[in-house]
Amino acid sequence: MAPPAQAHRSPSPSQPSGKGEVSDLKSQLRQLAGSRAPGIDDSKRELFKKVISYMTIGIDVSAVFGEMVMCSATSDIVLKKMCYLYVGNYAKVNPDLALLTINFLQRDCKDEDPMIRGLALRSLCSLRVANLVEYLVGPLGLGLKDNNSYVRTVAVIGVLKLYHISAPTCIDADFPPTLKHLMLNDPDPQVVANCLSALQEIWSLEASTSEEASREREALISKPVIYYLLNRIKEFSEWAQCLVLELVAKYVPLDSNEIFDIMNLLEDRLQHANGAVVLSTIKVFLHLTLSMTDVHQQVYERIKAPLLTLVSSGSPEQSYAVLSHLHILVMRAPFIFASDYKHFYCQYNEPSYVKKLKLEMLTAVANESNTYEIVTELCEYAANVDIPIARESIRAVGKIALQQYDVNAIVDRLLQFLEMEKDYVTAEALVLVKDLLRKYPQWSHDCIAVVGSISSQNVQEPKAKAALIWMLGEYSQDMQDAPYILESLTENWEEEPSAEVRLHLLTAVMKCFFKRPPETQKVLGAALAAGLADFHQDVHDRALFYYRLLQYNVSVAERVVNPPKQAVSVFADTQSSEIKDRIFDEFNSLSVVYQKPSYMFTDKDYRGPFEFSDELGNLSIAAESADNVVPAQGVEANDKDLLLSTSEKEEIRGATFNVSGYSAPLYDSSAASVQSELAIISSTSAGSAPSSSLAIDDLLGLGLSAAPAPEPASVPPSLKLNSKAILDPGTFQQKWRQLPISLSQEFSLSPEGVAALTTPQALLWHMQGHSIHCIASGGHSPNFKFFFFAQKAEESSNFLVECIINTSSAKAQVKIKADDQSTSQAFSDVFQSALSKFSV
Amino acid sequence: MPVAASAIYFLNLRGDVLINRLYRDDVGGNMVDAFRTHIMQTKELGTCPVRQIGGCSFFYMRISNVYIVIVVSSNANVACAFKFVVEAVALFKSYFGGAFDEDAIRNNFVLIYELLDEIMDFGYPQNLSPEILKLYITQEGVRSPFSSKPTDRPVPNATLQVTGAVGWRREGLVYKKNEVFLDIVESVNLLMSSKGSVLRCDVTGKILMKCFLSGMPDLKLGLNDKIGLEKESQLKSRPTKSGKTIELDDVTFHQCVNLTRFNSEKTVSFVPPDGEFELMKYRITEGVNLPFRVLPTIKELGRTRMEVNVKIKSVFGAKMFALGVVIKIPVPKQTAKTSFQVTSGRAKYNASIDCLVWKIRKFPGQTEPTMSAEVELISTMAEKKSWTRPPIQMEFQVPMFTASGLRVRFLKVWEKSGYNTVEWVRYITKAGSYEIRLAS
Repeated sequence: MAPPAQAHRSPSPSQPSGKGEVSDLKSQLRQLAGSRAPGIDDSKRELFKKVISYMTIGIDVSAVFGEMVMCSATSDIVLKKMCYLYVGNYAKVNPDLALLTINFLQRDCKDEDPMIRGLALRSLCSLRVANLVEYLVGPLGLGLKDNNSYVRTVAVIGVLKLYHISAPTCIDADFPPTLKHLMLNDPDPQVVANCLSALQEIWSLEASTSEEASREREALISKPVIYYLLNRIKEFSEWAQCLVLELVAKYVPLDSNEIFDIMNLLEDRLQHANGAVVLSTIKVFLHLTLSMTDVHQQVYERIKAPLLTLVSSGSPEQSYAVLSHLHILVMRAPFIFASDYKHFYCQYNEPSYVKKLKLEMLTAVANESNTYEIVTELCEYAANVDIPIARESIRAVGKIALQQYDVNAIVDRLLQFLEMEKDYVTAEALVLVKDLLRKYPQWSHDCIAVVGSISSQNVQEPKAKAALIWMLGEYSQDMQDAPYILESLTENWEEEPSAEVRLHLLTAVMKCFFKRPPETQKVLGAALAAGLADFHQDVHDRALFYYRLLQYNVSVAERVVNPPKQAVSVFADTQSSEIKDRIFDEFNSLSVVYQKPSYMFTDKDYRGPFEFSDELGNLSIAAESADNVVPAQGVEANDKDLLLSTSEKEEIRGATFNVSGYSAPLYDSSAASVQSELAIISSTSAGSAPSSSLAIDDLLGLGLSAAPAPEPASVPPSLKLNSKAILDPGTFQQKWRQLPISLSQEFSLSPEGVAALTTPQALLWHMQGHSIHCIASGGHSPNFKFFFFAQKAEESSNFLVECIINTSSAKAQVKIKADDQSTSQAFSDVFQSALSKFSV
Repeated sequence: MPVAASAIYFLNLRGDVLINRLYRDDVGGNMVDAFRTHIMQTKELGTCPVRQIGGCSFFYMRISNVYIVIVVSSNANVACAFKFVVEAVALFKSYFGGAFDEDAIRNNFVLIYELLDEIMDFGYPQNLSPEILKLYITQEGVRSPFSSKPTDRPVPNATLQVTGAVGWRREGLVYKKNEVFLDIVESVNLLMSSKGSVLRCDVTGKILMKCFLSGMPDLKLGLNDKIGLEKESQLKSRPTKSGKTIELDDVTFHQCVNLTRFNSEKTVSFVPPDGEFELMKYRITEGVNLPFRVLPTIKELGRTRMEVNVKIKSVFGAKMFALGVVIKIPVPKQTAKTSFQVTSGRAKYNASIDCLVWKIRKFPGQTEPTMSAEVELISTMAEKKSWTRPPIQMEFQVPMFTASGLRVRFLKVWEKSGYNTVEWVRYITKAGSYEIRLAS
């Protein structure tokens, strides 16, 4: 029995539980509060430190709020700072207590020491309590006019904080125009920079409702503002420079003279020690010259050296951030980087995320002159210990082969891979050889000789197996024992877990039949019979289609299955050029790292719940298939794995769960099946005779619930579910096959839910609480898959659910099948609300 | 928006929170949980430093035994975020005086909170310059339990603001003895093919400076780099002196260097910050002098025995010597017994990294010590082919040697009071990633 979902906030044993210590602290603080003894500040400091350390490790010390405030009536700045920190942390959850602090914070805002004024103002604005905003306006107004720049920098950000607590208060107090004035006139560059950050945020958020705000937002990228900031650029701190450069990149100059002026002014920023400044400058250069092809290319040449330096210096994380940007540039203009290919050679100890990007770039820059060196280098990696990287490098060799005209040498290399006798190398190489043959059929002779010597026993991965089978079918006339290999594969039909492989096998046998009929006839019969009995819909349909086609007319069948092939000239690109351009527009941001435009991943609050779901679905599949992480078919094919494992458990476990991209962990699904069994046992042992008899009815006649008893349209709005519903896996499987999908929806998951979903069990227990039972589950982060079922309380009408959850996108894709179609919407609502309550 | 960080967390390797600072309310409070469950406790850890979970993106970096995690909810600037973390860690280190690890954080958490408040406000990076921060930070770093407590310094007056023009230097500094230390530190990266040809080779160098100078000095640095020398000979209309000139592929400078003057006159002139800083960084790919040649031969004698012979040639001047030379020669996992013969240094088998480790403490130039080892393997049928022959890796330091050949020609100091300065220049070349592949 799987343990219940583990508690996520479990404090580690070394951390104290809290309660006793907090009340201790409280009394000690109370003693000190009134005392004016000398040296009292030192003991207060120690206590304050303790309070803050408890706060950090997650113990709730809000109980000492009053005492803390009392103790902080002091001139000791160290104490004050710690108190401010404490207050900032707890004011939000204790708005009443926060009121206590307003007084002394306001007093401190008028202190003669500018440091105390600044600190107090920052703390005041960090209270984040909506009904205290009236106390903020006065001190903020004074702070913006303070003669000390430190106070002003704090006040400017304070205005932004106020805006986020209460936008109308901020606007009514007329703060934005004040900030604008400061931005254009303040002598201190940090004040200017903070004004810019604050105004950008405020006006962008206001722009949707106010004409004026959107005009102001446009005014930020007008010539006077841009030139003013550019002229002061050297005064700014490195971070503020990034901010300004980001703004400049949005500016549209009037003519080319202006473009050159700006670039001349900024050229020296490319030598800045801070890589972030260099990247921001590069963005400005790239965007300014977009319309000037020649200059744009010169810009690439100019930025090459600084980028390569950045890649080779700093931590791997920093190089990764830069490499992602170099990657997008290399993809846009590979020829410019062709001579620098050696920079993309991988070092043995580099993290795999760096290696992966480098491999892609090596692939992109390969041309006639450097292919030999690059391919030699990639072949080194194929023997690498890091298997994912080894796979990537073999794929890279294949991609280069598909790009190049002179593939002679590369084909030899690929064939050598096949002889290395490492399973994963063979698997990858087979897939590549298949693609190569589709583009260069003239190589078939050489390839087939080698492929023919590979034993199909050694190939387990579905993609590789499918590739091998495709070649067996396509070139069966050249491969002596093709029919016999196909025959042995067909004999093992039942053990083949992947539907993709079975589909390919059907087609290959058909092709072989037309080329060598006498030898294949028997196999064809066996394959068609097996296909017709297959419970995968697609396999079944294809077998039936072939069967009828052969019945109808054999020569037509041959034309359908074995038409003359045209070599593929270009393989479809995985990402549209429009998407690529959007990513390029967002250069120097997360978009580049994720290789997705920002709208696909930024906060849910800024987009409608389902607005981009379609597009997102397509793209994530495209991206995934490029990465070959979890190909869509993989998931599809695994439907069966999950179901099989629950119904037939032990016998075929070894065979069903072989290596595949989506390896549903064995123990998960078997645990689930054990669990569902236990659920059945417990519910029957509870002596609920009606429910067990219902299950038998169900087994005997499926029509019972669907056909007679036509449900009146008046469905009660809230659906009652049987909390002790039972359904054995065999019936589930049968029903799942027979019933049509009545609803297919996508739900969003709450972040809490995503956080709690570490193992499938966590959700499973939760849903059981809502009378929705799990029959099979599997997967691991970020992809989980569940099959649920539920029964109506009064009658044996079943709901079957397939739910695929991707935690990284926080989406759940749900397919519902129901005995009674008319109630499926009601059930969907129940399911959604149960899912939305999922968290710890 | 370069970075509007919503939160910063410092976690130890178990996932306990050491420091948390929430700057904005746009992310939930359980972000640490999400990080723990979806990154730390999965195989994802270390596969990518940027990850998206729900609507938030996590940037994380491991520094010694601490994870620093930045959470953002917008399309933030990644390079800027990582740079910020690196700079912040350097700043913390300068306060604790040394290591940045779990213990140092636990001992200094109030100080770190204070610093985090100053260096970032509402998610926007503010001032990270140590000179200016000194004015606002009240906590002393806890250095180590044994060092004597520093005497109570008066809190500097916050109104003593530095001028915008040289934000990195305070006015009114006075030193009895005016000294400048220059360290040229190069790390040389090599990737050598199994056939002995250089696949990739470059040098990344940096010039570190320590300044103890009074007042507002103006410094000018001359190097033997090609562009600088050509420009100089043009200006003085004199032919370039013979001798080696170095072509720098790329240079970046500390913010104190006047970049406009570098671009027009090709001289490195600057008003230095007080104390220690990195003046410039450069990269060179042409004409690199490799300090060592490694000549390995590995013979597999049957299934259970291997013979490893490695010869190392030092190709720098005979009067110089390298320090701390370590050569790691990989051997298969199933190594059972090893025996060595070395002409210099010591060798042993380290089972935890599956390497023969040969150490030579002091390695004079123009010599070629050898090591020969016999390795006995446990015979296993299954792993016959699994040894992938990782490359030989090498560590070393060669003082007074630069792999690029870069030299300081002059360092001039001007200050209006006209004091004399003492300049010290050191060179050192270290191994970056020095890899030699083995023939199969």
